[in-house]
Amino acid sequence: MRNLLHQIRQILYRNKKESVPFKILFADFKKSLELNNQILDLIAEANDKLSGDYIFDKQYIQTTCQTLTGLVRELIVTINHLTQQKYSGLYKSFHLIEEEIDAILQGQVLYPVLEYILPYSSITRGLVDAVGGKNARIAEIGHLLDLRVPEGFAITTAAFSAFWRQNNLEETVSSISEQWQQKTIAVEEAARKIQQAIMKATLPAKLEQAILETASRMTKGQQKAAPCFAVRSSALGEDDIASFAGQYRTCLNIPLAELPQAYKEVVASLYSPEAMEYRLLKDFRHNEIMMAVACQLMIPAKASGVMYTYDPLRPETETMLINSAWGLGEPIVSGEVPTDHFSLDRQSPHEIKEMQVVRKEHSMMLYGCGGIGIESVREEQRTESSLKNCQLQDLAAIGLQLEKYFRKPQDVEFAIDLEDRLIVLQSRQLNLQQERPPRACDLTGIDGKYPILMRGKGIAAMEGIASGPVWILSPESDLKDFPMGAILVARYASPQLARVIHKASGFITDVGSTTGHLATVAREFRVPALFNTEKGSNLLTHGQEITLDTECLTVYAGVVQELQHYSFHEEPVEEMYEYRLLRRVLKKIEPLNLFDPNEESFSPQACRTYHDLTRFVHEKAVETIIDLNFYHAHHRDTQAGQLLWDYPLDLILIDVGGGIKGEHEKGIQPEQIRSAPMQMLLHGMSYPGIWDMSPMKVDFGSFMSSLTRTAPTRNTSPEDVGRNLAVVSAEYTNINFRLGYHYTVIDAYISDNILDNHIYFRFSGGVTDTTRRSRRTRLLNVILSHYDFLCELHGDIVIARLKRMDKESMLNRLFLLGLLVGFTRQLDVKMVSEAKIDDYFEEIKTIMEDNNAN
Amino acid sequence: MPTEQTSILILDDEPIVSKRLKPSLEKKGYEVETFTTSADALARINERQFNIVVTDLKMEGMDGMQFLSEVKKKYPATEVIVITGFATMATAKESFNKGVFDFLAKPFKLGEIAEVISKAETKIKNSPK
Repeated sequence: MRNLLHQIRQILYRNKKESVPFKILFADFKKSLELNNQILDLIAEANDKLSGDYIFDKQYIQTTCQTLTGLVRELIVTINHLTQQKYSGLYKSFHLIEEEIDAILQGQVLYPVLEYILPYSSITRGLVDAVGGKNARIAEIGHLLDLRVPEGFAITTAAFSAFWRQNNLEETVSSISEQWQQKTIAVEEAARKIQQAIMKATLPAKLEQAILETASRMTKGQQKAAPCFAVRSSALGEDDIASFAGQYRTCLNIPLAELPQAYKEVVASLYSPEAMEYRLLKDFRHNEIMMAVACQLMIPAKASGVMYTYDPLRPETETMLINSAWGLGEPIVSGEVPTDHFSLDRQSPHEIKEMQVVRKEHSMMLYGCGGIGIESVREEQRTESSLKNCQLQDLAAIGLQLEKYFRKPQDVEFAIDLEDRLIVLQSRQLNLQQERPPRACDLTGIDGKYPILMRGKGIAAMEGIASGPVWILSPESDLKDFPMGAILVARYASPQLARVIHKASGFITDVGSTTGHLATVAREFRVPALFNTEKGSNLLTHGQEITLDTECLTVYAGVVQELQHYSFHEEPVEEMYEYRLLRRVLKKIEPLNLFDPNEESFSPQACRTYHDLTRFVHEKAVETIIDLNFYHAHHRDTQAGQLLWDYPLDLILIDVGGGIKGEHEKGIQPEQIRSAPMQMLLHGMSYPGIWDMSPMKVDFGSFMSSLTRTAPTRNTSPEDVGRNLAVVSAEYTNINFRLGYHYTVIDAYISDNILDNHIYFRFSGGVTDTTRRSRRTRLLNVILSHYDFLCELHGDIVIARLKRMDKESMLNRLFLLGLLVGFTRQLDVKMVSEAKIDDYFEEIKTIMEDNNAN
Repeated sequence: MPTEQTSILILDDEPIVSKRLKPSLEKKGYEVETFTTSADALARINERQFNIVVTDLKMEGMDGMQFLSEVKKKYPATEVIVITGFATMATAKESFNKGVFDFLAKPFKLGEIAEVISKAETKIKNSPK
């Protein structure tokens, strides 16, 4: 062994310029880890502010951004110090992000994507600044609520911006607006001049091409020979402000070739006299005027209509209103034709309370290819109801689903297609117009009226009010059965609960933190969530109707109508300017785009957020420390040696303080290890039966096992030694394993201070087919999520994180990781069937229970 | 006081603070008035007394410290709670010297300010009339 270490040292010293002592480099490394944690914490904290539980102002957002910018800059300086300026490219990416954040803080809305076109299938809620509210909502209804919506795509604000730039419209528009504001010309003239300039302008060639290509792809597979499109506005902020509705232009039944022209027409309607005056009144700033556009396949509607999920004038009647007529919806919305009127009970089975069928002489119909027109309705249809009873029932159910999802009464436009299918065209917030809206102080009486099941317990991960039946997650229950509109009650706020986010009215958990994954998702989808109630899952019973008020940390028995109605009138916290601003800056800070360090795209240039930069630096810092210990000598004040172990694991340990006790010239005995995280890992890895020593059955088995025990060091270059390295101290362990073709990184710091505790686990690689590898990935995900890790899966890479648990629980999880490292070593080879996932999961759970019992 | 309801005046030049605090406190049964300029708040203070005053310290064009001094001078029984984004030991000390009931650093949770207000309310109710 001495011989071996001597040889390593020889190799290490040979190709080395006299470099910085390891202790100093390790100090850089430690500093980078500390900065890394500080940054991630600050990001999580800022994200936490979106819960609605905090009161913060613009000042806070500015200070937080400043602090983060400072920390990230320091991190980049540190990694460059550690690596002798190897990653100076990071500065450029950093400055770009910094500038964008500054611009957002100045009030600019940056379009979050560069794409000109986004098909509905790729639009998520986060992209609202790129596609506008109308597009974002309809896309979301389509893929999250599984309701039928028109097929379509968004022409983004990035496209708008390019169109503007190419034609110098900014300049034209400001000079004409100025004349109007100085009263040299009237608003009508200003509007006409601007609209003319827009109609004369040319679309960027790339944009025109993208529109035509996307549209033509969409028309393929359509039954109709030449399907046409509806082109609608989806301007920023359009849906938030009711008085904007209907101001912008909609072009119906547009043939493919005319889409570019229709796009210009819709965009030009931004500058109608009404819109211009309205914006002046509301002090809209120049850079906030942007329009995304929706292009949707035209639905040849048999009938159309509008549904209000509440009677806006008399919400207390608990009824829904539906108006409908034959043909397309436009004349119905604008009140140009008489409509059938229905009033339904909001409660299922939605009894019809009122029904007025009127005589319908005319309807708006599509003309073959392009154009629309008013036609006479066939005589026998004129007095027939435009909706069947069963359609009314379906509509009511859809209305309630939309209302639950968007958490406000809804104004829904719908169509019935030629095959009698219901299609949601649009859904937006319905403003209730009561004479005297419910006031907060009226609510003081409800305490006496409804039994309080729980109060004063827990923390609000997301503010709000929710009513619905309790659905308790038990080991026997399956999230697949979770019913629409229920309140999910569970022991842990586990990330996997996010699967039912689009169905749940609320979440209540016994344990959970506001910085966890579920909290983030609850905030994104505005689902009220109360965590850490300690006893919620014991106190509440399955199926019981409750009302959850997270602001007051209260759970009432029954449906508290007063609270529900009050919440409809409250300005939603998340629509306040400060919240929008914080959400916008966080987009430049929080998302993670860099995942796989082995990808070429894992580069300084690819960093688009502060999180990316932080992740990149972390990866490179770990890599650098490993490289340093293989290719360079470390200083004599660190101790290093090989672990003497019964298992074939060639592991070099570097102790940087209190991790190893006693002599180690001849190698390190497991008993000498004083590093608590390292001890637990080895304990797990050496659990009886876990480390599978049996030879592999696959052809390349011998090849694999020779790799597992790394090649003899003699006569080999350091690259062949393998990468099994651990840097340890009493509380810290950083491990890089390469076992077979698997590559594992574990970084753990575990002390009595809960706030500092973290475990980071990363697993990748494997030699078998993708099916088995994907089974292995899923198995790891199931196990790690079960034990509270937050998992990210990217291909066959698993990244799992755990933070802020007490020492004992953290060590327990390291034992688990030890088991997994031993167990998964050759696991992909063994994952011959789906059933194996459950088998191995059970096996691991049993071992964990046994271990806890001892 | 004419009613038994505890009255609260909130002064902060960032409108979001009042916008968030008002409904939340009203829901708990308080009577709440909000202001974004000290001139308006001062004018209102001259018209009537509030049991509790919640004020920011640093605001554009005006000093919260001055406002709270005015309040305490006029109504020594009114409890003042300071909320500020620039919490330093010096400002905290100065506030307490002026008889401030408590001092909260922004951002704070709704629950935190509710707790402080409820403590102030208890103190007012227990103090000799």
